[in-house]
Amino acid sequence: MPITAPNTFKSAALFGAMLAAALSPCVATATLGEPEVTVQTDIAQAHASIKSLQDRATYRVHEIALPSGTVMREFVAPSGKVFAVTWHGPRRPDLRQALGQYFDTYVSAPRSRFADRRHVQIQQGDLVVQAGGHMRALSGRAYLLSAIPSGVNIGDLH
Amino acid sequence: MVSTRALRIFLSLAFALSAVSCGGGSGSGGSMTPPPPPPPPATNNVASVIVDQGPSGNSVNTLFVSVTVCAPGSTTACQTIDHIQVDTGSYGLRLLAPVLTVTLPVETLANGNTVAECTQFVDGFSWGPIVTADVQIAGETASSLPVQSIGDSRYTAVPSDCSSGGGMLEDTVADFGANGLLGIGPFDIDQPACATAAETACYYACASPTSCTNSAVPTAMLVSNPVTHFASDNNGIMISLPSVPSAGQLTVTGSLIFGIDTQSNNASGTQTVLTLDNNAELLMMFNGQTLANSFIDSGSNGIYFTDTALVTCTAMGLTDFYCPSNTLTLGLSIQGMNGVMANNLTFDVGNAATMLSANPTFNAFPLLAGTNPNTGSFDYGLPFFYGKRVAVAVEGDNTAVGTGPYIAF
Repeated sequence: MPITAPNTFKSAALFGAMLAAALSPCVATATLGEPEVTVQTDIAQAHASIKSLQDRATYRVHEIALPSGTVMREFVAPSGKVFAVTWHGPRRPDLRQALGQYFDTYVSAPRSRFADRRHVQIQQGDLVVQAGGHMRALSGRAYLLSAIPSGVNIGDLH
Repeated sequence: MVSTRALRIFLSLAFALSAVSCGGGSGSGGSMTPPPPPPPPATNNVASVIVDQGPSGNSVNTLFVSVTVCAPGSTTACQTIDHIQVDTGSYGLRLLAPVLTVTLPVETLANGNTVAECTQFVDGFSWGPIVTADVQIAGETASSLPVQSIGDSRYTAVPSDCSSGGGMLEDTVADFGANGLLGIGPFDIDQPACATAAETACYYACASPTSCTNSAVPTAMLVSNPVTHFASDNNGIMISLPSVPSAGQLTVTGSLIFGIDTQSNNASGTQTVLTLDNNAELLMMFNGQTLANSFIDSGSNGIYFTDTALVTCTAMGLTDFYCPSNTLTLGLSIQGMNGVMANNLTFDVGNAATMLSANPTFNAFPLLAGTNPNTGSFDYGLPFFYGKRVAVAVEGDNTAVGTGPYIAF
């Protein structure tokens, strides 16, 4: 019941976010399933900082430190598409931004049979969200099954 | 009249005093020596706890306790609330506002704004104002404790940065699975960093209940572990639960004991003390790997770890749990940040689908285990506590066997 806001509200929020992204010079960072954008422009807006940029054999990793101390990583395929986002820290990053069009799917997904406040395992179509941890140390990852470059082990994305 | 009575009392007191002082040298007045005062009665530091189906009707491996809350300073505006989840993996008391029948005052900042919090859990978040209450559990009292009131009908506008953290909004008893949460982990404050900075999805100042913005909030007003506010028995807790048969059990009852080495019923004895890091985590060695983000946690309802050799369940809603064809016994070692090891422990993993279908009414399943998305973490939940007496010592506090934060068993 509390999960789903009216669709009109969601659409309005989504439109608003897209509008803000289009108008602002500080475009927010790359979003799951969308092309990699210049991450530096995100830094000022989120008061975040780039910790590192790593090129690995089959993907590129942006590591972003948020003011809360949370570290977010964005994984970019050779095609330039963001295929995974991970986080670890005292609070989650803005997942509405990071998951983009997949955020509502994540929020409204049915819960596990033995749900508790420590675990999330969601698979809805192409989207997988997995999370664990406890207060002060929340971790998780979201990825698109169809966008994972060949040879990448999901277990290595954290 | 009053002055006459006062004079009489004064005179009789003076007489009595002079008699005592003048008779001091006689040495024969045994009957006049007052008996030594009796020792102060020991505070009742034991609360009964239970694992049952909970208010949502479908809880498993979830530990509950009853808590009494009173308006600060009142002995009459009080309410006892059952089925508050006992959670060593969080800090502070949170109550579901829909079950509250007493009125508790909302905290107010110097500028008149009220205080609210966005509390993130792994699977979602809760939103609500911070109220103050005198909190009683067993014979212990935490006076004027900051407590979160979740799902408060006045605070209906969840800030966007709170909901943007994702997951489900847990603001009803059904969604929360409990009437509240008693966070009694090894730290005092839930989000200490939010005392100094206006962080997103943390604390808020509210000009009105529906207009809240990120704000730093003084430490004393942040949600805080009730145990640290007790007058005594305030250096930690012990949870003592009986062992549970492998197939599970309908309910389990045990004790939540306050204090460590403060009374005769909470002596550490020969417990193994494993100190914890700043995230209340320690090391677990499993399958030849050292998992650095591991923790023991009464608020987790199973044993969560990664083992790609184990078969997961195929049943709907259970695909993140393990379903081995036979019960497996696996090895585990745990190491504290102090280097102390608990070596050669074992735990059993059962078939989650089978155990549930065999005993669908049971609420305690010691062999329930599932996957952990963090491959560097072993989350040993309530099954760890079955058949043990587990102590959790608060950061900076001393016991007979060490200084918190630590976990001992």
